[in-house]
Order: sequence, then C-alpha cells, then structure tokens
Amino acid sequence: MTTEELKNLQIDKVVDARGTACPGPLMATKKALGEMKSGELVEVLSSDGGTKRDVPMWAERKGFQYLGDVLEDGYFRLYIRK
Amino acid sequence: MAKKMTIALYTGSFDKLTATGVIINGAVADDMDVEIYVLMMGANAFKKENIGKMENMAELADKKDEFIASLERLKIPTWMDFFKQAKEAGNVKIRICGLAGKIWNGTELEHFNGLPEDICGIGEYIASTQTADVNLFI
Repeated sequence: MTTEELKNLQIDKVVDARGTACPGPLMATKKALGEMKSGELVEVLSSDGGTKRDVPMWAERKGFQYLGDVLEDGYFRLYIRK
Repeated sequence: MAKKMTIALYTGSFDKLTATGVIINGAVADDMDVEIYVLMMGANAFKKENIGKMENMAELADKKDEFIASLERLKIPTWMDFFKQAKEAGNVKIRICGLAGKIWNGTELEHFNGLPEDICGIGEYIASTQTADVNLFI
C-alpha cells in the first residue's frame, strides 16, 4: 500500500509504544490485537528501529495481515489488520 | 499445541538475565510456553536479598557502568521486570534447581524473589527438554 493509502485507512485502535525499547512495541501490539475483533485495524507507533522488521515477521507467523509502515519524524507508524 | 522453549539459566549476571528477559518476552509474544530451570549462579540472583542488585556482571566488567547508564537512559526495564512482564503476558514457569537453591541457602520458595513457582530436580528439566522445540543454556 502507498503511504497515502495507509494514512487514509480506518483505524480501530492506536498503540503508542514510542519511548519503549524492544520488546516493548511487540508486546504492546500483541496485547492490543488480543483485545480486538477479526478484521479490525491497529496502528502502532514505535521509535524502536527493530520494530519495523520484528512486527511484520511476527504478524505473518501469527496469521495477521501486515499492511505497511509510514516513517514520521523519529518514529514509525505500522498498520496491522487482525 | 503451543510450542515450548526450555532454558537452563545458569547465569547470575544481570546483563545475561536482561537478555533472557527479552528472549522470553519474544517467546511469549509468539505464544510459546516457556520453562526456565534456574541453576547454580542463577539461583543466587533469584534470592530475595538480591532483588535490585546489579553488581554481578560476569563478563566485560569494564563495560558495566556504561551498560547500566544506557539501561537507565533508554528506560529499559530491569531483568526482574522483564520476567514479571513475560509471566503476566503468557505461560512462563520458573523453577529453581534444588541443589542450586541449597548452595545459596534457598531451600524454600519464600527465600526467593517471588518469580519462581517451584523448586525441582534436574530430572524434571531433562524430561521437559524432550518435548521442547527450543532449548537454551544461558
């Protein structure tokens, strides 16, 4: 998906994990998705460089749909659909 | 059935305990069951009187001050907090080796920091590794 498409997605939940280091963003993502319904979309904010590789690989193994990421000033936005 | 990670946790060095904390959180995020068997120097680190102590860094002792300063600056949880977080998020069992416990005068669970739920023998660890998908010695 393009950055524009990602930014226009209908988000069901935002997880702000900025300021936490690995494995903080991954654990926060797992917790959020655990509380969400199938088909819902979570936006994860992370300032941890490892998250951009870590979360997509994890999401794929867990059967979630990773839609992509957007680079902001000093952090990422990652989009995962349950 | 959930995949399983077993860990023989020999170390009492807080840098390795911190790394272990990160690994077990990753395992729990992957829905793995984790069983930790605390051996030798590890049992010392789990003693109640050693809560919060960061004096034991077995390797690269000259890096200790820099390491502690970075952990604080980056607001990295303590190794005990990592272990607590993993236990809250998933199925993590921590067992103290009976022999190791005795070496450090820890013969009852109450002598430890609240993380272990059992004191066990080595046979239980060996049996558990037979059905583990991942087995680590740290």
